[in-house]
Amino acid sequence: MNAIQIGHLLRASTSGFTVGCSVSQLEAPSFGALVRAPLGNDYQVYGLIYDIHIDEDGLVRQLVTAGNISEEVMRDNRERRIVPVEMSALTVGYQEGERIRHLLPPRPPLSLDVIYLCTPEELTRFVTAGRFGYFRHLLRAREAPLGELLAAHILEVQRKTRLQEWTEAAVHELITLLRDDYPTLVSVLGALGEVVS
Amino acid sequence: MSLNFQQVYAKIREIGQTTAARQQRLAEVRQRAQAWLQSLADQNEALRARIERARTIDPDLRCALPLAERLDACYPPAQESLPTVLIAADGSQVAPDHHAPLLYSLLNVGAIVLQTGSGETPQVFTDSTLWYEEELYGENGLWSEEVLAQRRDLAERRKLLELAQAFQGTAPEACPLITLTDGPLELWGAKEGSGNEYRRSLETYLAVLSQLQAQGAIVAGYVDKPGADLLVRLLEIGGLEDEKMAEVRSWRPLRGVTDRWLVGQFLRPGCRSAIFGLQSGSCAHYRNALALHFFYLNVGDERHPYLVRVEIPRWVAEDAPRLNVLHAALLEQCRLMGSRPYPYILHRAHEIAVVTFEEQHQVEHMLAVELRRAGGEVEGESCKQSAKNLPGRLPRP
Repeated sequence: MNAIQIGHLLRASTSGFTVGCSVSQLEAPSFGALVRAPLGNDYQVYGLIYDIHIDEDGLVRQLVTAGNISEEVMRDNRERRIVPVEMSALTVGYQEGERIRHLLPPRPPLSLDVIYLCTPEELTRFVTAGRFGYFRHLLRAREAPLGELLAAHILEVQRKTRLQEWTEAAVHELITLLRDDYPTLVSVLGALGEVVS
Repeated sequence: MSLNFQQVYAKIREIGQTTAARQQRLAEVRQRAQAWLQSLADQNEALRARIERARTIDPDLRCALPLAERLDACYPPAQESLPTVLIAADGSQVAPDHHAPLLYSLLNVGAIVLQTGSGETPQVFTDSTLWYEEELYGENGLWSEEVLAQRRDLAERRKLLELAQAFQGTAPEACPLITLTDGPLELWGAKEGSGNEYRRSLETYLAVLSQLQAQGAIVAGYVDKPGADLLVRLLEIGGLEDEKMAEVRSWRPLRGVTDRWLVGQFLRPGCRSAIFGLQSGSCAHYRNALALHFFYLNVGDERHPYLVRVEIPRWVAEDAPRLNVLHAALLEQCRLMGSRPYPYILHRAHEIAVVTFEEQHQVEHMLAVELRRAGGEVEGESCKQSAKNLPGRLPRP
């Protein structure tokens, strides 16, 4: 499967990065999707999208108040204007050579690095490497809606991969990790109830 | 703090104290303007004769020239907006600056083609031109802001022609094509335009206009918030006694009244005014089908009327179907922008054309790198500019 480019890196730290893309590129990535930033020398950083937002635009605000937006104007704004779409991703691991580690990377990706959506094969390899080590990064992130993000991620794995028992193992791991944080556990399980039967 | 606010505030107070008297005077002058409009509204022939006389004394006289319609005519749109090919162009420029690190100039023309009712994505175009060092000198030395503005206007109109020729064939049969620019149709710099550079630009511009006419295009210039008093000046000349005609230059009994206010008193939302010829010092250059005309258009609504001036050449002014297409299309474009009516397509052309400070800085950087790589000299900015760029003093905590 061809790699799907979703945008370019705007800013980054070791724990997360932000990607900018045009509206026409916005169909591919989704909340909870796994993305990667290849940095050369067989080294790439993985991230999980936890927020997609579109900055305010004065013209769009004015058009909205006018109502009756024609198809041409709609397409002009979506395809021709520079609408600043930003996606924020939590860094969940990195790959060095053939080895995937669920650790924070030695260095973050750099400005304008191309960010790709992971293919089902890449998603399978990442989530089955180790024992859910990347969940640590998700549970630590205060800025992400945890339950929703985990539910979206698990749904993506279910839809894109053929992993049969992965979901059950993932839920067990989450229960274990959150056993001392009852309010968060209840909240996460509530969200997971939407995607796990 | 470098401004002496005490001095400024004293003046502000003085302005405030005289406001009531100024408003009173303005109300009186406005009343007079309305009365003169009422009495002269159908005196077109007599007014034209007076303008003819006034022109012999003041060849640079700038005012409205009445044609066949009453001065206070008000025409609602004759039709709904039809599918139309709209083309708009706008330009922005970076003028050469001796204090900058490098002596260069940049011109950027942005254009957009939008076919209304097609559901298709509009097409956008950008033409960027960079001039460096010796290319920036004309017969009068380094290009002035005015020369660059003329070049910008010309480049905009050329782009419109190029796109009109390219898109005329692609539009469905009988789909009218409108070209729009922001501002008057008159080439910039006309008032001071006596140099060879201006004359050459004007010749080219007139040739472009003629070709647009041959293409069957509806050409218009859109003047937002017009500050001119063309109709008011016409009334002043209409109210000038024959024996005082020699004083026409200084005869300004209606000073302070704008066309926008006067026409706003009778032009209903969506309506256009009568079409007037444009009497100006440069009108001799725009002859026959290219003669400049204009009308006012109320693009606002009942609660918020908003008047703009639309300039058109004679071939559009005298073609009622084309005029109706333009009228409807402008209203439609302005409605898209909601409570701040302005043609959407013109705003987009501006967005495409504008050169941001960051882009300008990037071009300077690229040019400097290339020059250094090729062994050229890069002087750097002037000490004066360098001092101006220093971060300002911080305010006291």
